Formats: sequence, C-alpha cells, structure tokens
Amino acid sequence: MFYKPKNAIYKSVSRRRFMELGGSAVTMLGTGALGIGMNSTMMSTRVQAQSSEDAKWKQFAGSKLVFLSENTPPSFAIRDKIKSFYDLTGIEVEILTDDLPVVQQKAGIDLRSGNADYPLQYVQDKPIGAPFADFYADLSPMFGDDTLPQDPEGYGDEVWYDNFLTACGRYYDGAKVIALPYDAAVACTFYRKDIYEANSKAFEAEYGYAMEYTNDTTWKNVLDFATYFKARKAAGEDVPYGYAQHQGTFAWTTQLDIQRMMFAHGRWTDFDIDDKIGSKTPGKTKWGDEQSVLMLEKFKALADVSHPDNLANGTLELNTVYQSGNIAMQIQYHEFAASIEDEKTSVAGGGRTAYAPCPKGAPEWILNGGEAVNGTNCGIGGIGISGNATEEIKRAAYLFAIWSTSKQNQYEVLSGLGGTPTRKSVLALPDVVAARTRPTTMPNALTFDAVYDFGIKDPNFVLGPKIPEANEYHSIIASETQKMLSNAQTPAETASSVQSLLDSLNDA
Amino acid sequence: MTSGVTNVSVAQVPPGTSLFRARGTSSDIEARPITAVLPLPVRLNSAAPRRYYLYLMAPAIAVLAFISLYPFVWLIVMSLQDVGVGAGEWVGLKNYTRLFNDVRFLEGWVLLAQYSAMCLALQLSIGLLLAVIVNGARWEKFLVTALLMPMMMAPAVAGLVWLFLYNGTFGWYHWLFQSLGWLDSGSILSSTDTAMLAIVLVDVWQWTPLITLIALAGLKRVPQDQLEANMVDGASPLRNFFAITLPNLYPVLLIAIMLRFMDNFRFIDAALVLTGGGPADSTKILPIYLFEVAFKFFKLGRGAAIALTLLVVTIILGKLLVRIFEKPKSERV
Amino acid sequence: MASRDVVQYKSPLVVAFKIFSVIFLTVYLIWTLLPIFVMFVSSFKDLLEAFNIPEVGDWAGVTVFFDFTPTLKHYHSLFYDNNFGEYMANSLIAAGGSAVIAVTFGSMAAYSLSRVEFRGKGDLFFWIISTRMAPVVAVMVPLYAIFRSFDLIGTLPGLILAYTTFNLPFAIWILKGFFDNVPYSIEEAQMVDGATRFQAFMSILPLVAPGIAAFIVLCILFAWNDFLFAAIIGSGGAKTLPVATRELVQPQNIQWGAIMAAGVVTTLPMMLLGLVIRKYLVTGMTMGAVKE
Repeated sequence: MFYKPKNAIYKSVSRRRFMELGGSAVTMLGTGALGIGMNSTMMSTRVQAQSSEDAKWKQFAGSKLVFLSENTPPSFAIRDKIKSFYDLTGIEVEILTDDLPVVQQKAGIDLRSGNADYPLQYVQDKPIGAPFADFYADLSPMFGDDTLPQDPEGYGDEVWYDNFLTACGRYYDGAKVIALPYDAAVACTFYRKDIYEANSKAFEAEYGYAMEYTNDTTWKNVLDFATYFKARKAAGEDVPYGYAQHQGTFAWTTQLDIQRMMFAHGRWTDFDIDDKIGSKTPGKTKWGDEQSVLMLEKFKALADVSHPDNLANGTLELNTVYQSGNIAMQIQYHEFAASIEDEKTSVAGGGRTAYAPCPKGAPEWILNGGEAVNGTNCGIGGIGISGNATEEIKRAAYLFAIWSTSKQNQYEVLSGLGGTPTRKSVLALPDVVAARTRPTTMPNALTFDAVYDFGIKDPNFVLGPKIPEANEYHSIIASETQKMLSNAQTPAETASSVQSLLDSLNDA
Repeated sequence: MTSGVTNVSVAQVPPGTSLFRARGTSSDIEARPITAVLPLPVRLNSAAPRRYYLYLMAPAIAVLAFISLYPFVWLIVMSLQDVGVGAGEWVGLKNYTRLFNDVRFLEGWVLLAQYSAMCLALQLSIGLLLAVIVNGARWEKFLVTALLMPMMMAPAVAGLVWLFLYNGTFGWYHWLFQSLGWLDSGSILSSTDTAMLAIVLVDVWQWTPLITLIALAGLKRVPQDQLEANMVDGASPLRNFFAITLPNLYPVLLIAIMLRFMDNFRFIDAALVLTGGGPADSTKILPIYLFEVAFKFFKLGRGAAIALTLLVVTIILGKLLVRIFEKPKSERV
Repeated sequence: MASRDVVQYKSPLVVAFKIFSVIFLTVYLIWTLLPIFVMFVSSFKDLLEAFNIPEVGDWAGVTVFFDFTPTLKHYHSLFYDNNFGEYMANSLIAAGGSAVIAVTFGSMAAYSLSRVEFRGKGDLFFWIISTRMAPVVAVMVPLYAIFRSFDLIGTLPGLILAYTTFNLPFAIWILKGFFDNVPYSIEEAQMVDGATRFQAFMSILPLVAPGIAAFIVLCILFAWNDFLFAAIIGSGGAKTLPVATRELVQPQNIQWGAIMAAGVVTTLPMMLLGLVIRKYLVTGMTMGAVKE
C-alpha cells in the first residue's frame, strides 16, 4: 500500500513542495479577490455656482458608489440604464440587488455600525425607512445647493403624487427629507369584467342588486360577491372563487390586507398618531375596541368564502392565481397590471380585467362614527443616502438620487419594464395619457385612474403606522390574524391579543 | 453480543484492507480516542516536541478563536443590553426575564421539539426499514446511490423545488395530494394543520438517506453467526430482529439521532424558503424566530439572549454526543 | 453472503415481507427521485408548459408532464442575462479555498492532537467541535461585525473564512481519526533515519492521502450548499449559486424556469462529486462517528 519507509524522506520533500504550492495558491486567491472590496471611492473637482451644468454633473467623475436595492423590476431597469448615468457623470454605480429581508439585514447592520458601505439605499417606507430613519442623511440642504445640478421641476410635495414624498421621505418629526420617491406600489382592485357580466343577472336575482364594481362598491358588496361565487362553486358550477387575499408568508402584505379594510370603515388606524409621518412613541393601540372586533369578524367572514390558499399566498402567488383564472377579483398592487395584461401568461388578459379603486367602507359596519372611504394603502420606495457617508460621497450620491427619480428616467422605466412613476409630470406626457386606455403599450397605465386620480388622494390614502418597531408590528398583526383565519382564536380574542402584544412592543 | 462480535470480525475481514478497517470490523463503529488504545511513547511529552506540536496546532486554533470566541463573548455582552435601532444601553438580565413572558419564544421551543420529533420519528422508521430492505439486496450499491441523491442538494434549492411542487395552482404534488384525496382545495402550505407536515416532509426527503446509510453501516456489523444460531433454534426473523439486530444498531442510531437533532437546530434554509414560519406561526420553530428577531426586528439584545439559550442547549446535546463517541465500545449498551 | 443461504425461512410472513419490501422500495425510490426529476425536466420547459397540470383525479392526465418542447432558454438566460458563470466561479473558489485551508490547517492540528497529550486536551477538542455545532443564525451578527472590521464583507476571502468556521473543526475532528490510525513507529523510523519532525509528519501524509482527498470533497460539498453565510457575508462581490438561485424569487416575478435550471446547475456537480466519494460519505456526514 502506501507504507514505503525506504524512500519516505525523498517523498516527503515532494509533499512539502506540494504543500507550498497549495499555500501560494491560497495566497493568490486572497490577493486576487481583494480588489473586489465594496468601499466606494471618491474623486472630485471643485465647481462653483457659475459653473456649467455639465461641469456640475461631472464634478465627481471617476468615483464609484454602491447602491443597495431590492430585486424588483425598477432596480433591474436602473441597472440596464446605468451606462447613461456614467456617461452623464463619470460616476460608476454598482447596484447590489437582494431579497427585501436581506436588504433589510444589510442596511440595518451597515447603518447601525456607523459604516457607509452602501451610500445609496433603497428606502422602503415602513420596512426600512421607519426603523432606520435616523441613520439617513437629510437631503433638503442639497435641494437648493447651486454647486450641484438640480432637477428642473424641483422636489416639492406638489411635483410628486399626493402623499408620496411624505410617505417615503419624512419620518416622525418631519424635519428631514431622507429619500426621494422612486417607485410606488398602490393597492387597487383587479376584477374580471367578463365574469361579472356573465353572473350579473343570477346575482341580482338572489341579492337584489346588480353585480357591478364601481367606486362606491363596499366591502359588504365584496363579501356578497364572494359568497355568491363560493355557493355556485359548492353547487358544482365551473366558476372561480370571488375573492382572495395575500395572507401568506409576507407579513407586510398580510398587515396591509387587514388595514385596508379597517381604514375604509371610519378611517380607523392602529394608533392615535399622524398616520403619514408616524411616531416614535405611538402610545396605546386602538386594537380591542368595538370597531376592530367587528372588522376582524367581517374579515374572517370574507376569508371563509375566498380562495383557500390565502394563508400560503403572497402578492405574487395571489397574482398567479388570478392570472390562471381561479379568482374573479383580487386586490393587488398596481405594478402587477403589466403581468395581468400579458396574454401569453394570463387568462385574465386581453381586456377581460378592469381596474378600480379599493372597496369602500360599508356604512352599517361603521361603529366609531367616522367616514366611509375607499381605504387605499401602498408602499413607496425611495432612494436615500446613508448618513454615515462623508459629505463628498453624499453629494455624489445625490446626483444619482435626482437622476434616477427624474421625469425622463421614470418615463423610460415605465415604457420599458413597466415601472410605477412617482412624478406627476410623467403622467402628463402625451404617450402616457394615451396609454391609459386600451389598446395600450404601458399596461400599468390602465390602473392610473383608480390609483393616482383616486386611491392615493385623501381621504382614501392610508400609509399604516410608521413606528420604529414597524417590522415586528407587521409580524404580530400577520401571525395573530392568521391564527384567527385558521380558527385557532376568535375575532375578539385576536383583537385583544394584538392589543396586548402591541402595547408591550411599544412599552405603552 | 461481545463474544459473537470478535469471532465474526476476525473471521470475515482480512486485516488492513483499508485504513478504516485496520483494527477489525468490530471497531468500525468507532470509539473515539484511539489514543487510549495506542499508548504513545512517554518521551513525546518532553518539552521540545510538545512545543513543536503546539506550533503545528497554532494556525488552526488561531483561526478558530478568531471566528468563534469573539462572537461568543459578543453574544453575551449583547444579551445584557437593549440594542434596538439606536445605541445600546445596559439592561442587566431583562432580555432573559422577558423571554419567559414571550409566547413566541416558548412556542418556538415547543415547535422545534415537535418538528425535530416528527422528523426523527419518520426518518428513523423509514430509514431503518430501508436499510433492512436494501441490506444484501442484489442492487444494493445502485440503490444506495440513488437513495442518497437528495442529500447532495443545497437545502435552499431543495426548499425552492418543493415550493414549486407544493404550489396550489401548478404544483404536481399538490395535484397528487388532491387526487389521492389527502388535501382539500387549499395548498399544503396554506393550512396551520398541514404546514408543519410540509416542512417535515422536505426534511424527511432530504435526510432519511443519511439514517439509511448509518443504519446500513451498522447492519453490516451485526453478528451473522448469532442470527443463524438463533434461526436454527427456531426464532422467527422478527424476533431475531428485535433480539439481536436492533440492540446492535442501537449505538449508531443514537448517533444518528443526535446528529439530526443538532442539524435541525442549525439549518433552517428550506423552512425559511417554504413557510418563513407561517401560517399563523405554526412553523415558527425557534431558529426561525431568532432569525426574525435579529434580522427583521433588529432586536440584537433580545436576539443574542435567544441565541445563547439555543447555543447552550446545542452544546449540552453536543456534550452528550461526544460522550457517546468517547465511551469505549464495551461500555455501550 | 454465502452464510445467509444456509438457513432460509419460507414462512408466509417472510414472503409477505419480501413483497412488501419491493413495493415499499419502489414507492420510496419514486418519492426520493421525483423532485429531482421534476426539477431536471422543468428546467427544459417553457413556463406555461411547466404550469400545465391535469384536472384533480385525472390520472391519465399525467402525460401532460411530458408534453412539451424542450428549450435551453432558461440555461441561456442564466449565463447570458444573469452572471451565473461568475457565481459558479465564486462558489467554486469559495468552497475550494475553504476546503484547502480547512484541510491544510486541519491536518496539522489533527496530527498534533493525535500525537501529544496535555491537560485540558479533551476540553480543547470539545471547544473545537462545538464551533461546528453552533446554530449559524446565532453567530451571524457578531461574525458580520468582525468581518466588517476587516473589510471582508462581500469578498471571496471573507466567504472562504466564513466557510472555514464550519469546515475547519470538521476537518480537525475527522482527520484526527485518520492520524490516530497511523502508528507512531513510522515517524519514529523516519526520525531515526535522520528526518526532521516536520519531514516525518510529511512522510505519513501519503498514508492518509485518500482520506484527505475525500474530505476536501466533503468540505466543498458543505460549503457549496451553504446559504446563510453566503447570503449575508458573501453576497455582493461574492455571490454564490444558492444565493443567486434564491434571488430569482422576485417580489413580482418568480422565475420558475430559471430557478429549476439554476437548481440543476447547483446540484449536478455535487451529485457527481457525491458519486466519486460515496465510500467516505457516511464517515463524513456523521462526523466520523460511523465508518463504512
């Protein structure tokens, strides 16, 4: 076998050589990869207020920045266009895309540790903005800086869609603007016009009113629709389910589902705080009151007649169910319209789907005396700059922030990959106006009537509590309502357990 | 069992066929410190060579210290602080006392125990049965190779493949379960009654082969002459299995149990992909809850306290495992 | 085994068990190979074809599974639209690098632990192995902090070091078993012949070479399949295959076709390696507790 003592010493020499080779290979591995560090590098040339626009854009030529973003189409779109940013500024931007949870982890660890590995970050309003607001740089001082290039439209509230700037940029005291709105996911109703028409008569015979979906359709109507479809299905007819929700693994969408309905009824919110800018000390929650218990009961009733996969589906899975024709209606984020209209992957395409605002509150379900509104919630993604970065890096990053949220860029993303613009001026472009009616080249534009002209405007708009503990809050709401939906606890028990968990979360 | 073992091993295996069998079949189920079996020359412990050995050890120890001691100290320090989003402040043992009022923490342990128990029960029974069936079969080599394929797959990838199979709209396993009448219309992941089963199935799919491999190695050491003698005496095969085979397998199976147990604590890749702890926390085993607390809620102090409890239990289990390894074979059950 | 044939039962019970065995084995083999098979086949399907399933209870409809036109477009998109070539290289370098380091340092330490006695050796040994048992989630945040302070986040050296956290204790543990089996008299003979201690150590390496080779492969397998370390410490400059695969799950689009193809790309090399070192697999997977 191996045992050869006679020439073993000679052999040991060759083995040593072998080990040496191995060692140097390891060293080479080390040095070879050292170049891939991810620190941003900075180069700059002085500019003055009088300098040309071009000089202002080019003042950081040769620099390198890292942008930490979520793996969503807008990020991919930006990545495809990154060459034009380089041509404009000479700044190289490396875009890291990860799953939202991973983005959260990395952003959190980086910001908290005082580093600025990721000077540019994708600031989702609640999952990232709310917990880390204090760690981002205030952009407002740079808005008027005449040594930096500026967007011709400016950055005031009026140039963005209603509430967008506040939603993703202002937190707690509202003194800072930490992010510019980059993309938006706004809830609206997708329903199958063809199926509604086919069932209208039969429904009317039973319920006494027509099966139509309008801006005044209430949650009670939605419950009726779903009950009707469920009954027909139980009778063996070939109809889809009437409704479905995203109560699945993604805690955030689960919470938004219940919040939408609760807000529609008397503009009920979790805490007594300004919903749009949030609070670090939200105080005692309103969960457990009469209204919340009733809402949970109705929510449960609706879930019981909905598609059975509620508890496994997130936004995307739900959309797949809708695409496959297994439900007649879903409340979905408007960016999904593009995938619905694609006839190759969707039986709901080809003009069968109509888009409308979220359902309105049913007056008879309002116990707190408030107004019935079309509660519409959303997630606004902003581009923010790490507060740990040096002044120079912040200024270079600012160039990227204003470039990526500019009108031209948003228009290109919308027409290219199906983005969701945040600047009003984009929707005023003739192309985009034309795209709002079928046949369209930008399917997302079909939702704009319901979303931008109605849903996100007050009094329908609800953002959800911006609190530092937002992520754990989402998790609590999701887990507890899921327990109720799977019959582990009653609506009243759910309301009170949410109440005690939230109060202990906020030390209230 | 003792006399049977030695007789057979000497007779069956020519010594020195491979490194592992150098000391005869009976020790293939290894008792750990063979140093005790091979007494070393005394002069090894003279000062100069000792230093030399320490030098050889140093790089490994240094690397390990760098990546294990520091995190451990860090965890302890962190667990005594309240580190939310802002800077940390000392809170003493509050993080620990709070744990015992935290339903999700306590439930996490219960679920982890349930999850591990279900995985182990299924893996052990199926794995053992497979080993018995495959042992000595005509296609044994081929069969074993086919069986162990799932172990080669990255758990995160396995989670995705199963997510595809379980999908309520286009999943083949969903179709299969429904067609067999095991499921109503909802997907297996959508109900609190079945979600745990769903992640257990994936673990069983991936790791039962390990139990089979281990049991198979154990079966090869069962003293054949004893079995045959018993058969001649008229014992039934079933009786033989329980009287001779199983007691002989016991030590290896114990090791298998410990290993799987610790891995259930260590790996959550597939479960994270499949359920992320939902629905309604029905699969939120402790490591998943820890993941949430540390990485989603950014409660580093609370996370560290949870991590330490998990670590302590793992280390206790590990200590037990090592003790089993180190026990000389003759002292084993 | 000849001895087996000496005594044979022919009772009904045994026959029943034989029949049961065949059925059980068949069912189990199908169950164990089916997911892998579906993954392979689906990776060659267009998305709509992959979503084609029969009506509930329509057993004859199973044939739609094979009703598709094979396409390589998912593989094409992995390597052309996505950087899977680069991710594969990252996986290879990170897994290979950590395996080499683990086995190099590991064999030195294992050899010493096998040859020298000192007080507290048991504790040292337990400490080494306990680093391998620690739940990854538990140590991730502190590890991140350390790695960050050495600028190792998002780099291949960082990932290699991260993998060393579990591969090195593993290597020490296993290799010590190997060295324990090599009699000290061999080194002694070498040193009598005038070799230095280190030369003596090198001279016995060939004796454990097959074992070391197998464990390099096992270390590669563990590192290659890791997800958590790669996601947190590696991603960025050192994205590996499992992380890249997971990333194909996007909030608005789960690219199932690409995921299945990526699954094949990730799994196939490991299956082949697994075949190569099948003999050592039990020993490796049980941390040396069981030897085949």
